Amino acid sequence: MADTVDTTALLAWVREFARLIEEHRDLLTELDSAIGDADHGVNLHRGMSAVVAALAEDTPDRPAELFKRTGMTLVSTVGGASGPLYGTAFLRMSAAAGDAETLDGADVAKILRAALDGVVARGKAQAGDKTMYDALAPAVAGLEEAVGNGQPLSHALGIAVRAAEQGREATIPMVARKGRASYLGERSAGHPDPGATSVTLLVVAAAAALA
Amino acid sequence: MVGIVLVSHSRALARAAVALAAEMAAGARIEIAAGLDETTLGTDATAIVDALAAADDGDGVVVLMDLGSAVLSAELALELIDDDLRSRVVLCPAPLVEGLVAAAVTAASGADRAEVAREASDGLLGKLSQLEPSVSVSPEKDAMGTVTVANPHGLHARPAARLVTEARRLDAGLEVRNRTTGSAWVPATSLSRVATLGALRGHEIEVRASGPRAQAAVDEIVAVAARKFDETPDVPHPGGEPFATGGRPASAGIGIGPAWRRASTPPDVPDTPSRGADVEWPRVVGAVAAVRREIDKIWEGNPEASIFDAHLLLLDDAELLGEVRRRIDGGQAAPQAFQGAAARIAAAFDTLDDPYLRGRGDDVHAVSDQVLRAMLGLSGAETAGDGILVAADLTPAEAATLDPARVKGVLLAFGSPTSHGAIMARTRGIPMVVGAGPAVLSVSPGITVAFDGGTGEFVIAPAEPVLAAFRERAAGLAERGRQAAARAHRPAVTADGVAIAVAANVGSLADARAAADNGADLAGLVRTEFLFLDRDAAPGPDEQVATYLELAEALGGRRLTLRTLDVGGDKPLRYAPAAHEQNPFLGVRGLRHSLAHPALFADQLLAIARVARETPVSVMFPMVSSVAEVVAARRMLDDAVAKAGPAEDLRVGIMIEVPAAALKAAAFTPYVDFVSVGTNDLTQYTLAAERGNAALTADGLDPAVLQLVGLVCARAGVPVAVCGELAADEAAVRLLTALGVRELSVAPPAVPLVKDAVRATHMNLTGSLAQRATGLADAAAVRALLKSVSLAG
Repeated sequence: MADTVDTTALLAWVREFARLIEEHRDLLTELDSAIGDADHGVNLHRGMSAVVAALAEDTPDRPAELFKRTGMTLVSTVGGASGPLYGTAFLRMSAAAGDAETLDGADVAKILRAALDGVVARGKAQAGDKTMYDALAPAVAGLEEAVGNGQPLSHALGIAVRAAEQGREATIPMVARKGRASYLGERSAGHPDPGATSVTLLVVAAAAALA
Repeated sequence: MVGIVLVSHSRALARAAVALAAEMAAGARIEIAAGLDETTLGTDATAIVDALAAADDGDGVVVLMDLGSAVLSAELALELIDDDLRSRVVLCPAPLVEGLVAAAVTAASGADRAEVAREASDGLLGKLSQLEPSVSVSPEKDAMGTVTVANPHGLHARPAARLVTEARRLDAGLEVRNRTTGSAWVPATSLSRVATLGALRGHEIEVRASGPRAQAAVDEIVAVAARKFDETPDVPHPGGEPFATGGRPASAGIGIGPAWRRASTPPDVPDTPSRGADVEWPRVVGAVAAVRREIDKIWEGNPEASIFDAHLLLLDDAELLGEVRRRIDGGQAAPQAFQGAAARIAAAFDTLDDPYLRGRGDDVHAVSDQVLRAMLGLSGAETAGDGILVAADLTPAEAATLDPARVKGVLLAFGSPTSHGAIMARTRGIPMVVGAGPAVLSVSPGITVAFDGGTGEFVIAPAEPVLAAFRERAAGLAERGRQAAARAHRPAVTADGVAIAVAANVGSLADARAAADNGADLAGLVRTEFLFLDRDAAPGPDEQVATYLELAEALGGRRLTLRTLDVGGDKPLRYAPAAHEQNPFLGVRGLRHSLAHPALFADQLLAIARVARETPVSVMFPMVSSVAEVVAARRMLDDAVAKAGPAEDLRVGIMIEVPAAALKAAAFTPYVDFVSVGTNDLTQYTLAAERGNAALTADGLDPAVLQLVGLVCARAGVPVAVCGELAADEAAVRLLTALGVRELSVAPPAVPLVKDAVRATHMNLTGSLAQRATGLADAAAVRALLKSVSLAG
């Protein structure tokens, strides 16, 4: 399979995610103001800006190092719940990437599965809790299936994007059971979950940068 | 000594809490990891790691956290430290301030970390016993009560829905049982379980609850039961006294006939294997959300639609969804799982003795069918029947499948005269009244219903003289129709000699035939979407050419105005997926969509260019908002013509549906041979009012819309057509012609009457009328003006 991505491509992914977060910062904050404490966009933007700055200073030479630095930076700069959640996701991706210098489609699926497992371990979220899990889980499942069927990575990521978007849309009617949004009970229904929205951007960024 | 780490979003809060604790236990070792800096709220796992290292002197650390990310960051910090330190750290769920004070005192006394954590966790006890003595004494205080069902039909759908809504709100573990029948206890929060109690009028129902608010919850339920679960007095008895009242006119014509209700046939569930719970469960969630939106849509502007409460509650019934989830986890695909679970719950109703309650299984079936259709992408319920269809609302797809030969009319409890369903009814010549109120839903099948779709009047079970009056009105309309039809094939010329083309809107081969039969001068709008929707691949140029030529033949060689594909996020194509949009009506649709899918667009333009070599054709681009779009489209059309060979009489136009395009009409002149105003969308975009929303007025006679039409006529410099609903509004005809419109494109059955309306118009008398109309305040004032003038003239 010639279908592999190297550290430079993965760095582009992280940067694209940062760009998308910046672009959607106000939307994320607006979604969070509907159901949470209105800090998701601002927090993630602060964290991803710090990540981009940290990576610009000193370019990592392996995927594991890239993800580790991303995760650790998020952990100490985001502030809100998305800090430990995204931080854990990237740290698990770093562990799953191991020593590899390049990743093929199966590896990308594997590291995103590890990220999902990390999010579950950290947030204890289940399907239907109206969290980032509801978008990331179908995206990972779609990616694994497509890669398993021998689809090229670019196509598989397109499938993952659609699955994530559908998952995000499915959070609209849900009643939040996690995080501060859960205090709102029924009033949390009617808006997409901000975490599901931002994690969809992570998948969109992957499709843009790795395809 | 055991160290303490305080994790908080706020550095100021942490410092203040430490100061408070230090007053009681000055010697405690407390480290804080709080805030991202002095003022930024947030938690930082790496700062917690540092604090843990600083707080530990070998006796371990107890960590107290405020909320949310503080807990997550603390857990993450545990992953980041070495095993040795981790074995000495306790994350303690105690409340922050009370816990810190208790922990500091206990730690300073030399206790071990387990004891420090326990004391911290007990830090809340003092406050609890102070404020709620009963809680600490007896946290599980149960309560019980008995109510007698006073509702005439027992605890059927609506009262049961009220009970369940209350029970969910009270959140006190409420359970109910039918004492009269000796049933088992069931959770009062599950509609499907409550309905299986078979509680009839006079039955005694026991209610019990647990927890601190048990008694209050039981009292509340007893009170609601005493109010007969807030059930409103019964609607007119099915088949009883006749009553007459007014709805809103939606499609002109007299409807007389026996009432019939739609029987919904269960959709066929394909035998596809599960693709795994991760894929199947979201399908259920998505379909349930879609059905909820459908029901919410009926709710909008219709506060009486509470009869759907039962349906809404079923959509998040834990009993139903729990079983669906179990079946999916057990390996079933979403449709099978939902159908199976719904069937089992419906079967529970079928075993009940009371026929009325047995009928409640219908609610479950109806909701289940609706969800399955949403899941499988199928259109609505069975729409074959004779007489007057009585329903809550009508989707465009349902309206499209009604057989005008059998359906004499449609009477809707809810709905809007500007909805797509109403437009479809007008296109198909089926009389319709909307907004008749929920009482009509209890009309028994077979009871005679009569209504006037032109005025909104309707009568249930009319007396003979009333019926005769309706028949007379119908005969008068029929006579007028016959006279108009006799003249329909002649051109429409105003009384003072201005020729107005009266064209037909065509969305199918049948429409094209009807257009020719009704004397349309041309097809002023061919909605080519019918070729593209509901299929897995786009039609190729050959298929399109064949279809367009068929239309031309059915029209007897009259000019075809082919509107290029008008789709978008609201009406996605499976083979040209659109990105999700927050607001599809303000997104990539119409020409924007075509330009975004150039291969698809090029195929359609090639087909149109080829057809134009055989028969007179105009091409028209929808949803234009900028000149650049038109230039890009024309460039692609040039390529298509270069490929197909030149066509002598291919005319090019745009639809003006966006206020921006109307205001810039002159800028388009160099690029177009004609423009056609789509008044449906222009009205929606101008008034910011969705036409299906019964709570809003989206009337094309609004002076703002009329001003835009007038502006287009004055500035476009090319012939102006109107192809929206407004063109078929007989009252609007002289206003539009006075503004300068020279072509009216309407539903085929409306052509003869619109031609007659043109013939009755005196252009030199209507000019000042148009000026007055555009200066009025709203559409109602315009309609009143038109009415007064028509009476005077």
